[in-house]
Amino acid sequence: MKHGRLRALAALLGFALLAATAPISITGQLLAYQNGYVFFTTGDGFRLAPDVRILDDATKKPALETPKPRLYARATFDDTGHVVELDLSRKPLPVGPLPDAAEQYAVAASTPFPNPELAPKPASATGGVTETFSGKLVLVTITVQVPADTPFGSEVYITTDTSGWDPKAIAMDRIDALHFRVTRRIASGTILHYLYTRGSLQTEERAENGIDRTPREITLNDADLRAVKDVVYAWADLGIPGGIQAPQPNTIPTPFNPAPFPNLPSGIPTPHPR
Amino acid sequence: MRHFMHPRQRSLVIALFALVLALSCARAEAAAPPTTIRLHADRIAFYYDRYLIEADGHVRVTTSDGTTLTGDTFSMDLKLNRFLIASNVTLRSAGGNLSGAAIADFLAFKRVYFVPVLEKPDRWTYENGDFEHPIKGRQMPGDTFYFPDLSNTRLNLTAKSATIGSNAYVRFGDVTSYVFGAPIPLPSFYVYFGTNQDLAQNSLSGANLDLTWNATGNNNSITALHVRRDTENGSYLSLEQHLAGAHEYAVFSVNPGTKFNKFWNLNAADRIGKNFQLNVFEQLYTQQHGLRSPSAAASSTFITLAQALPHSYLQAAIQQTYYNLIGPSSPAIPNHPMQAHLYGASFNQRIFKTPFYEQIHWGFGFNHDTSTGYFNARGLQDYGGVVYTTIWDHSLGYTVYLPEYKFGDKYNPYHTYYFNAVLTAQRLWYTVPHHVNTATTNFSVSRQFSREVSAYVNYNVNNTGDYYNHGGYTPYAPLDANGQPDYGFLAFRGASTLRTATLGVTYSAHPEFSTTLTFDRHKDFPAAVPGVFPLPPTNVIGQYLYSNYLGQPPYDITANVRARVMRHLMIDVQRTYYFNFGTQRWSPQFLVQFTQ
Repeated sequence: MKHGRLRALAALLGFALLAATAPISITGQLLAYQNGYVFFTTGDGFRLAPDVRILDDATKKPALETPKPRLYARATFDDTGHVVELDLSRKPLPVGPLPDAAEQYAVAASTPFPNPELAPKPASATGGVTETFSGKLVLVTITVQVPADTPFGSEVYITTDTSGWDPKAIAMDRIDALHFRVTRRIASGTILHYLYTRGSLQTEERAENGIDRTPREITLNDADLRAVKDVVYAWADLGIPGGIQAPQPNTIPTPFNPAPFPNLPSGIPTPHPR
Repeated sequence: MRHFMHPRQRSLVIALFALVLALSCARAEAAAPPTTIRLHADRIAFYYDRYLIEADGHVRVTTSDGTTLTGDTFSMDLKLNRFLIASNVTLRSAGGNLSGAAIADFLAFKRVYFVPVLEKPDRWTYENGDFEHPIKGRQMPGDTFYFPDLSNTRLNLTAKSATIGSNAYVRFGDVTSYVFGAPIPLPSFYVYFGTNQDLAQNSLSGANLDLTWNATGNNNSITALHVRRDTENGSYLSLEQHLAGAHEYAVFSVNPGTKFNKFWNLNAADRIGKNFQLNVFEQLYTQQHGLRSPSAAASSTFITLAQALPHSYLQAAIQQTYYNLIGPSSPAIPNHPMQAHLYGASFNQRIFKTPFYEQIHWGFGFNHDTSTGYFNARGLQDYGGVVYTTIWDHSLGYTVYLPEYKFGDKYNPYHTYYFNAVLTAQRLWYTVPHHVNTATTNFSVSRQFSREVSAYVNYNVNNTGDYYNHGGYTPYAPLDANGQPDYGFLAFRGASTLRTATLGVTYSAHPEFSTTLTFDRHKDFPAAVPGVFPLPPTNVIGQYLYSNYLGQPPYDITANVRARVMRHLMIDVQRTYYFNFGTQRWSPQFLVQFTQ
């Protein structure tokens, strides 16, 4: 039993010694290769050894192309912090912050100091929630209450800046006489500008005061779910009782496009005075 | 001499157009211009689905503050409003000429992050465009110099140059565009990605196919050529010019531009202050080859004005149509009907502390048509031997509604019922001695049964009554072929009642898929009569303009399926079954549309 423990301890020490002598290497995406330095997209620059080897990462044979931006690479350092081998790859290699062991080799003329603009906002400044915007997909459910005079057969859509203001960008489902709803996955960090329509820009919503309204805006953070509730007060094409409706292009009657209802049957009774 | 347009109308159109343009230009000057970036490179690639511009080889960038940058590689995320230049970078600015490995400009934050390579590499930050005082050594955002992952995105075009207006537009030069993978060379291409919706306004009619070439543009304008095809006109070209400022827009188009029958459209609006808005839609119709003198011309002008008031608003709408703008040589009758309406509505006011809301609306109207028109043989209405060429009207209406009332188990969302109701009543009086009453009652009950399934039932009654002060409609008499009372359209004596009961069920297991079934039961008076009309005409894209039956079929069921087929594309397919209403079983066409 005692001998077994000693053997395990010896093996652990052996691994530790081997690890201590193994060369340090990092992976990342190349930003630049110039002036005796190689730069990764972390912004870090590393000094190149005069006899640096440029290899293909997959075959470990001399690379057929020169290091350039967008390529992925594995950099191996010697004890002095020089890059002695650079293995290039078109396939993505892990990209991330520098490991501590390699950070010491990054060359910078000035002493780094913290940037107060990058300090996380205190939770107290964001309503008790630390607001982050990682770009992950967030489930967003939008529910809208439509005006009481909305025709029951109407479809309701959302038009967004991300769709180039396509009036039918996002179709909604009716959930009762006055409400429509839709759920979509949208990347956090998105600032979405949007308005509601009934299928065209002529049937777009208007503000409560009857004027075109500025687009609604939501900023999506990393919350797992986001519920948005809106109210549409009026539609641009509705409102005048017995009156005129906003025309659609090319639908105005002309002598050559005369009739909304040319095929009415005869015999419809007309009123007469007594 | 031919008068191509009525002089008064021509003056009005010119004046309105000039007003809108002048206001557009004035306001556009007042708005802060975006930072402009001029980019040249051996190859510029644009990925429309992610608004990414990637460029390689002899990159040269000039920004509107006079800074010049060169390098080997360029990357810009238009939505994040930041760009990166990497490898063998030179920076020529007010701070002098410097060389470096990479530079990133976060335009939205006015921060420039630079990796100069002097004796040693370093990290410098420039704030607010001050290139003379770099902040040396300050920590930078972790992803400052990251390139985007392009593995799941699609190349839309390549170019040799690009002018980028930050947060607004990009205009490419010497372009190869890829349509379904096929390269198409173009001298230029413009893309707008800003938030000004007014630049998306259009004045074209629908088409079965529309390939749009946004030839050029900037922060306030777009010039577009459309290659179009529709059922009525075949293939043709159309031209559209968009202008937009911070509060106004004007869109002009000629469509179909290469056909004998042309529509010249102007769609314009101006929001003057916070409380007033003017909208104009002017359409000129001509029969002409190219730009030769037209053989016939007609036009219609539609103007709306809206004025916000405390707790209410006013809206005025005027429409005037000229059927003949070129005189006796045209076959068209020189008729020019006009309508003008003034409409007022209160805001939706909550009734004390109840869950009910109310709205009052009223209106005055003027309708004028003097000669034989195309809808009426004589004037607007022939009643009692009097031909009414002018009819005034006024109206008063009231709406009360309950947006939402919960009942059932209010603490369990899947056992909560929602009830809502709308009651609208309106009377419209005319100078022809009659009035029209309309009343609409609607209520629904809905419930979410599970995360995936929701349903509602809705009942709607629509009553219309046309009542004459003296006389009016003759008493009801029609009998059908069997001598039984005919409650079809011949039974109409000024009153109708349309009742509809609806059951709708939506199954949405996933944000990318949903299906809806809607079952309707219609019970109408006068009763719906199948096949009483011949088939109606179609619009330019081949859709029937209206139903060829009176009223609604007694039963119908509509199925709708919506599913995502591509990252930015959902397909929506819908069709209705009419349960053998006359000879009709299915709606004439599948309704297919693409959404996001």
